[in-house]
Amino acid sequence: MHVDRSPAEPLAAPRGAEAEQGAPDRQPVVLARGVTKTYGRTRALAGVDLEVRAGEVLGLVGHNGAGKSTLMRVLAGLEACDEGTVAVRGRDASGEAGPRAAAFRGVRMAYQETSLCPDLTVAENIWVSSRHCLPRLRWRRAAGEAARRRLDEMFPGHKVTPRDRIEDLSLAQRQMVEIARASLVDRLDLLILDEPTESLGPDAARSLYDYVRALTARGVAVLLISHRIREVLSVADRVAVLRDGAVIAERPAAGLGEHDVLTLMGAQVAARTEDERVRAATAGSGDRPVTAELRGATGPGLRDVSVRVGAGEVVGLAGLAGQGQQEVLERLWHPVRRDTRVHGTRAYVPGDRQRSGVLPLWTVAENLIVTAMRGIARRGLRRPAEEGAVVRDWVERLAVRGGPDAAMTELSGGNQQKVIVARAFASAAEIVLLDDPFRGVDVHTKTDLYRLIRQEAARGRSVVWYSSENAEMVHCDRVYVLRAGQVVAELTGEEISEERIIAVSFAEVGGVTETGGAGAARSRDGGVPSHG
Amino acid sequence: MNNLRALGTRPWIWGFAAAALVWLAILAISGQGGGQTVSLALSLAPYLVIVGLGQMLVITAGPGNIDVSVAPIISLAGFVSVATAAATGSATAGIVAGIGVGLAVAVVSTVAILGLSVPPIIATLAAGLVASSVTLSLADGFAAVPDPGLRHLLNLRPAGVPLLAVAVAAVTALVVALLRRTVYGRSLIAVGQNRRAAERAGVPVARIIATTYLASGALAGLTGSLLAAYIAPSADLGTRYLLDSVAVVVIGGTLISGGRAVPVGVWGAALFFILLDGLVNLVGWSTAAQNLLKGGLVLLVLFLAGGGDRATGTPSLFRRRPRPAAATLTTTGENTHG
Amino acid sequence: MAELLAPALPTRARMRRTAPAAVSAVALVAMIAVCASLQSDVLTVAGLSLVLSATVPLVIAAQAQMTLMSVGDIDLGIGTFVGLVTVVAATSLVSSPVTGVLILLGLVAAYAVLGTLVHLRRVPSLIATLGASFVWLGLGLFILPTPGGTTPEWLAAFGTWQPAGFPAPLLPILLVAALVYLLTARSALGVRMRALGSNPVALERAGLRPLAARAIAYAAAGALGVLSGLVLASQTGGGDVSSASSYTLMTVAAVILGGGSFQGGGAVPWGVAIGGVTLGLVSVVLSLLDVPTTMQSAVQGLIVLAVLAGRVVVGKVLR
Repeated sequence: MHVDRSPAEPLAAPRGAEAEQGAPDRQPVVLARGVTKTYGRTRALAGVDLEVRAGEVLGLVGHNGAGKSTLMRVLAGLEACDEGTVAVRGRDASGEAGPRAAAFRGVRMAYQETSLCPDLTVAENIWVSSRHCLPRLRWRRAAGEAARRRLDEMFPGHKVTPRDRIEDLSLAQRQMVEIARASLVDRLDLLILDEPTESLGPDAARSLYDYVRALTARGVAVLLISHRIREVLSVADRVAVLRDGAVIAERPAAGLGEHDVLTLMGAQVAARTEDERVRAATAGSGDRPVTAELRGATGPGLRDVSVRVGAGEVVGLAGLAGQGQQEVLERLWHPVRRDTRVHGTRAYVPGDRQRSGVLPLWTVAENLIVTAMRGIARRGLRRPAEEGAVVRDWVERLAVRGGPDAAMTELSGGNQQKVIVARAFASAAEIVLLDDPFRGVDVHTKTDLYRLIRQEAARGRSVVWYSSENAEMVHCDRVYVLRAGQVVAELTGEEISEERIIAVSFAEVGGVTETGGAGAARSRDGGVPSHG
Repeated sequence: MNNLRALGTRPWIWGFAAAALVWLAILAISGQGGGQTVSLALSLAPYLVIVGLGQMLVITAGPGNIDVSVAPIISLAGFVSVATAAATGSATAGIVAGIGVGLAVAVVSTVAILGLSVPPIIATLAAGLVASSVTLSLADGFAAVPDPGLRHLLNLRPAGVPLLAVAVAAVTALVVALLRRTVYGRSLIAVGQNRRAAERAGVPVARIIATTYLASGALAGLTGSLLAAYIAPSADLGTRYLLDSVAVVVIGGTLISGGRAVPVGVWGAALFFILLDGLVNLVGWSTAAQNLLKGGLVLLVLFLAGGGDRATGTPSLFRRRPRPAAATLTTTGENTHG
Repeated sequence: MAELLAPALPTRARMRRTAPAAVSAVALVAMIAVCASLQSDVLTVAGLSLVLSATVPLVIAAQAQMTLMSVGDIDLGIGTFVGLVTVVAATSLVSSPVTGVLILLGLVAAYAVLGTLVHLRRVPSLIATLGASFVWLGLGLFILPTPGGTTPEWLAAFGTWQPAGFPAPLLPILLVAALVYLLTARSALGVRMRALGSNPVALERAGLRPLAARAIAYAAAGALGVLSGLVLASQTGGGDVSSASSYTLMTVAAVILGGGSFQGGGAVPWGVAIGGVTLGLVSVVLSLLDVPTTMQSAVQGLIVLAVLAGRVVVGKVLR
């Protein structure tokens, strides 16, 4: 039963001594130096320096796409970094990163979307991730026993038994098991908690943080990532702020206020041009006919959401990722429920290009026309000449590199995204739904596409635009900020600013315990986190 | 190098090349009647081509899509068509009845696939089982004989070219046009490449899938009607067409993971199969060797071509799907994704 | 609200999971009752043996199918594979037992290779196993072109074994189910296989190799297929490569009846045993009811569809 043995005893004494002094120079457990990581054309990490010391809680904050998730995967040894080094317990381990790396065995991570197999029991999941520390025979009992004991320590009253299957547990219980799973290892050096309390109730969150303090008292380091700034400030010893793939500030948590952190995180006030202000002001004024409407929509991931979209209006959906924005788009795309009313045809621009945008075997022209083709065709027969004209027009208008005959997979991400945006706007659709389509797209392309959106809106089309980049929202006439499936603010015209959106989206909503469907829907595929 | 690349973009060439090789082997061994062999192959291949085209449409609809009800449909359609033709005295009525049978069985599968979310393999297997039961009850004391007029027509070979081969070539051309020039065809290929993306692009996925299975059923029904008139209706008339239809699609260059259909390749592979049967008979090998050869070939092509899009994984060495360089040539290629 | 529901959740979920097997069990009892009312000596030991014996090879083959379905694959070649094994049992195993055993071991290895290739080349198991089925068929016809041959004495003896006190077919059914239960549901290997079917990303993150899990699952399926073929040969007393071709659908149906799913991740050996026996008994009941044999496959097909339709309904009700 050595799974939940406390961390290496010999080291405990000197650490204890250090702790008494409150020493700021405790030895680093994990040390990252100049770490960079690039995915395709997106630079997720641009030279991160970070150290996590034994016996401390380091809070890591940053907005959508700041690089948190990538940094976590590099620190946990799941992915190798492109440049720089990651040292674990003073030994450079960046060369041997990978899920089987022995050097990273003491670094454990609890994933936000969980890393559990839904069809397996709690005990079996513990075996999958902690099998090195379990006996070969009677492992099931040992794993179950360890899980039960750890859950009892962390979350009294958890109501989980080792024989429960993960798919039968509530979202909060799954999160508890995930955290317990991550913490169960023979020698825990660093525990990374990625949004641990997002689906936990207040009591569970409190007991989790009590346990975290007990862990650090034993010399374990804890890295806490959370959107809940106040929580981070109350638990962490130090706070590191990540922005645009680099750590831009590292401060002791004591004496730091919520507002200071928000400012550090990038409330650099977006410089809206005079031109935009005028346009926004005029656009916001008139009473437009309503083309789409959600009235008190409630369901998986949504709670009493009311959204109104007028003709020729650009409506933004903002807030942290996964707070119900996509569910709103889904309602508008498939208006089957009675609380949703949509007048007019729709087109959809997906954000996840590879999974739901690109048709990989086709050329640019073929990808572009697939939606508009239906409107152009007569009696089910395509009209190549008319299609060609539309394609040429759009390729020219958006300056797609390579021209209409280039293969779609040959294009850069930005150009692919242009084609997918053009696909929607080339159709005759009256309402265009944008699902965070500009993630990882370069600035020039973005500027082109912002202009396009305004032009098309001026022609009377409605645009509903979910974006995880708050700076983009200034191009909207009206913005709904969502938090935990609820609309927490509706901003119009002048009020729309990045600063304002950040402030509102971090506001804690009363009684936010279960966000419901959004997480449940994602939990099965267990892929990499969608943001970061 | 350029030639090699061109070969890669025209996967249908392999079927024809293999067929030509087998033909040469037959010529070398028997030492006579090269033209006759071709003529015979052309009169047998069309049946496989028709059912293969239907299977190709289904496989093009994306991973997991397969129609295993074609074999029982062929057998059942054979009986129904011959009986109808005998009862009404009209061969046309018989063919229509055969196609109707195929559609009816496909309706059962389609309802199961779309309404009950049963995986296609199980839905078509179950529908096929029902069909084969009906076939067995019909076969009991079946007395009607195939329409002599239709049989004569199917045996007609002006200048050595079977009339049916010409007709089925026209059908193949129609399928090529269907895939390239119609909204349905483009939608099907889009669904096969990326179902999610197609749905987001406004393609009515369920309708496309339903149409595809119905088309496959109808084509299998047509095959059954013609085959029963050509040979004779029997309970295991369609049995060999299950794997053969999948095999000609795979060997013909259609992507197993969907999104690229190669109707012309079905012809090449079908001719190859028919000639291979001839060769095996000529050398005196048994059906055992035929099965071994076919199964081995399917596996070989399958594993060489590599497959699907499991999220992780390294690019395959022998990948025959168009990489960027290849895709630019598609407008000139015979494959219909261009 | 959610807190209130939480304790009620597992029982409801457990109900949903065991519902298919429970329904099958009820159907099983009902069918035995029907048999007994038509033919009263069904309830004797000899009668039960007679009724159950036909289902044994099917149940074992269904366990093979279940093993593959637990990693998320499907086997369309199991029917002809079982047929091929009966052929080997009726020929090589008699003439030279050593060669016969080696051939059978080679067949198991062939399954493992097939699984490895399916994984490495990332091809759909559906089409790979369909192609393999023709290789099995070809091999079977090659060894034994027409049905015939005789089974080894020890195998024949097993086929006619009639212990007093309990129906003989129950022994292999329960023994194999227990074995598969130990392998897929209890052992660490089984956890790997089900993890592969359930969430391959988690498996990868934990540093486990998915290839090994898949290859082992295929090898286990091959071994169970061999066992099924031997039992079938012991009953028929000869080899016929197409004697088990109906198993392909029947095994999938048995897994579904027993509560398995196509997504992978689950292992339901006991449910499969019940489902397989139920499905096998359908033909017995139909023949006792004087339903023409021609309609039997239709009834089986409709039962599969009805069960799947019922599951959709049950899934919606218990959500």
